[in-house]
Amino acid sequence: MIDVVPPAFIFIFGAFLLPFLRERRLRQFFQLLIPVIAFIDLLYMPNGTYWVYNFLGYDLILGRVDKLSMVFGYVFVIVAFLGMIYALHIREFGQHVAAFLYIGSTLGVTFAGDLFTLFVFWEIMAVSSVFLIWYRRDKAALDAGFRYIMVHIFGGCVLLAGIIIHIANTGDTYFSVIEYGGLGSKFILLGFIINAAVPPFHAWLSDAYPEGTITGSVFLTAFTTKSAVYVLLRGFSGVEILIWLGAIMAIYGVVYAVLENDIRRLLAYHIISQVGYMVCGVGLGTEMAINGASAHAFSHILYKALLFMGMGAVIHVTGKRKMTELQGRGLYKKMPITLSLYMIGAFSISAVPLFNGFISKTMIVAAAGELHRPIIHLLLHLASIGTFLHTGLKLPYGTWFGKSKGETDITEEELEAKEPPLNMLIAMAMAALLCIITGVYPKVLYDLLPYTVYYHPYTPQHVLSMIQLLLLTAAAFWLYIDKLGGEPTISVDTDWFYRKPGVFILWLCSHPLQDIRLRLQRAFTGVVINVAGLSKNPVLIPEIIVRNIQLKIYTMFYHNSEPPEDNIKKINEVKYKINVLKKISYNEHIYRRPIGAGVLLAIVFLFLYGLIYFIKQN
Amino acid sequence: MSKKLKYLFFICIGLSIVAGFFITHEHVHFWWEKIPVFDAIFGFLGCIIIVVGSKALGHRWIQKDEDYYD
Repeated sequence: MIDVVPPAFIFIFGAFLLPFLRERRLRQFFQLLIPVIAFIDLLYMPNGTYWVYNFLGYDLILGRVDKLSMVFGYVFVIVAFLGMIYALHIREFGQHVAAFLYIGSTLGVTFAGDLFTLFVFWEIMAVSSVFLIWYRRDKAALDAGFRYIMVHIFGGCVLLAGIIIHIANTGDTYFSVIEYGGLGSKFILLGFIINAAVPPFHAWLSDAYPEGTITGSVFLTAFTTKSAVYVLLRGFSGVEILIWLGAIMAIYGVVYAVLENDIRRLLAYHIISQVGYMVCGVGLGTEMAINGASAHAFSHILYKALLFMGMGAVIHVTGKRKMTELQGRGLYKKMPITLSLYMIGAFSISAVPLFNGFISKTMIVAAAGELHRPIIHLLLHLASIGTFLHTGLKLPYGTWFGKSKGETDITEEELEAKEPPLNMLIAMAMAALLCIITGVYPKVLYDLLPYTVYYHPYTPQHVLSMIQLLLLTAAAFWLYIDKLGGEPTISVDTDWFYRKPGVFILWLCSHPLQDIRLRLQRAFTGVVINVAGLSKNPVLIPEIIVRNIQLKIYTMFYHNSEPPEDNIKKINEVKYKINVLKKISYNEHIYRRPIGAGVLLAIVFLFLYGLIYFIKQN
Repeated sequence: MSKKLKYLFFICIGLSIVAGFFITHEHVHFWWEKIPVFDAIFGFLGCIIIVVGSKALGHRWIQKDEDYYD
C-alpha cells in the first residue's frame, strides 16, 4: 500500500517548488506531473476520516473521504491537468504558482472534515485565484480583480461569523449536515452562496472571470463555484429556499446572456445559469437530485473549461473579445479545429443527447418532476432553451460566422487569425473527448456518484423531448438571427450597487470628510502651537493671559468701526508687549523666587488634594 | 445557409414531431408531458419569450454604454 498524503498538499508543495525550476522543459514536465501524482493519490485514498490533527483543542480534519467528496476530487484534479496543458506555453511561472495554490486549496475544501480547515482553505482559494485575474495586467483586470477579492473577503467574513456562532451554539466543529434555522447556519449558508454566485451575490463572477488571463480563466470557471456546490450539498441539501434560488439563477444567467457582447462574459453568465441547476438540485435534496447535482457539477466543469478554452483561443489569436468586433470576419475558415471542439462543448452544455450535459442536467430536471414541482420543472426547461440558444447558436454564430455590422473598420483580410498553439488544442481535444465519453457511456460517471443511480437518461421519451426542444429553439433562433447579434453595450448587474455608489462614497471621503479632517487638524495644530509657545516660559503665562484680556477689552467695542486714534496706540502697544513676552524664554537666573513660593505652591496643591478627597468621602 | 441544409433542418423537425406520437411516455409527472408535441411548442415559444423578454428588459433598463462605469 502506498502512503497517501492530502492531495491539497501535493499541489501546494508543487506551487512552492515551481519557482525553482528554471529549465523550461523541466518546469512543463513538473506542471503536468503534479496533477498526475494527485490523481494517483486519489485512487489510493480509502474512504473514511483521517489526517486528524489536534490544534488548540479543536480537531482539524484534512481527510474526510466518501463518495461525495471523491467525485468532486476527481473532477478537480482532471480539470487541473487539462488546464495545465492549456497553460503550458505560459512562461510566467507566477501564474502557475497561483493556479497550483488555487487548485490545492480547493481540494483542501473538498476533503475538509471540519469547519476551521474548510475556512482556511476557503480563504486561500480566494486569495490565490485573484492573481489569475491580475496577471492579465490591464486596468480593467486590476479593477475587476480588486472587486472580486473584496466580495470574497466579505463572503469569507460572513462564513467565519457563521462558523463561530455555529460552534458556540453546538460546540461541534465537524462539518456535516448543518440544520438550517439558526443565525449561525444562515451566515454559513450566505457565505457558501456568495461563492456559488447565487443572485444577488453573483456579480463578482460575471465581472471578474472575463477579465482573467486566457489560461487563468479556465481554472477560475472550474473551482470556486463548484466547491461551493460541494459544500452546499454537504451542509444544506434539502433546504427549500435553495430550490427557488437555483431556478431563478438558471433563468437569470440566461437573460443576461442574451444581452452580452463580450464572448467570455456571455459564458460566465452561463456558469451562473448552470450552477443554478446544481443549487436547485441541492435544494430538492432527494437522492436523485443530489446525484444529479454532483453529476452536473462533474459535467459542467469539463464542458465549461472546454468552452472557455475555445473562446480563450479566439481571444489569444485575434486579440478581440467582443462579438461586434468578431462577427462577419469569416473566422470559421481560419480556425476550424477550435470551432469544432468548441461546438462539442456547446452541445454538451446544451444537453444534446450523447454529450455529457444530457446525462446530468436531465437528472436534476427529472428529480424536480418526481417531487411534483411544476414551476421549477418548467423554469429549468426554459433555462435549457436559453442555454442552447446562446452557447450553442448565438455565440458560435456571432464569433465565427455572422454578418459584419460594418461598425469597425477592420476587414476580413486584416484580422489575423490561425489555430492556437498545439498545447491549447490538445487540452481542448481531451476535454471534448471526456465530454463525449461520459455522455455516451454514463456509467463511468454514475458509478462515482454518492448514491446508487436508478435514472436512465437514454429513454425514447427523454431523448425525443430534448431533440424537439433543441430543434425548435434553433428554428426560433433563425427567426431572430439578425436581432441576436452582439450590441456594443454593457449590462448593469448587481455590481452596480458597489460600483456606482462606490464612486459616491469615494467622493464623500475625498471631499466632505477630507474637509472635516483638515479643519480638525488645523484646530488641533493651532492648540499645539499655542501650548508649545506657552510652555517655552510657563512663568509668563498669567501675564500673557492678562495682556490678552486687556487687548480684548480695548478692541471689543470696535468690531465694525475704526477705533479712535489713542486707542489704536494702546492696542498696538499691548500687541507689541505680548509679542515681546512670548519671545522671552525661561531663564532660572531671572525668575529666582524665594523658597517660600515653592512651599506655598505645595501647600495649595495639598489643600486642593485634601479638598477633593474630603468631598469624595462624603 | 444552403437550401439543402434548410430542407434537412425542416425534415428533422417534422420527423421529431411525428415521432412524438409514437413513443411511450412512461414517467409522466405532469399532464403536459403527455402532449406529444409539447416540447416542440415549448422550445419555440420559450425561445421567443427569452429573446423578446430579455431584449425588452435590456433596452429598457439593463444595457448601458460601454463607458458607463468609467
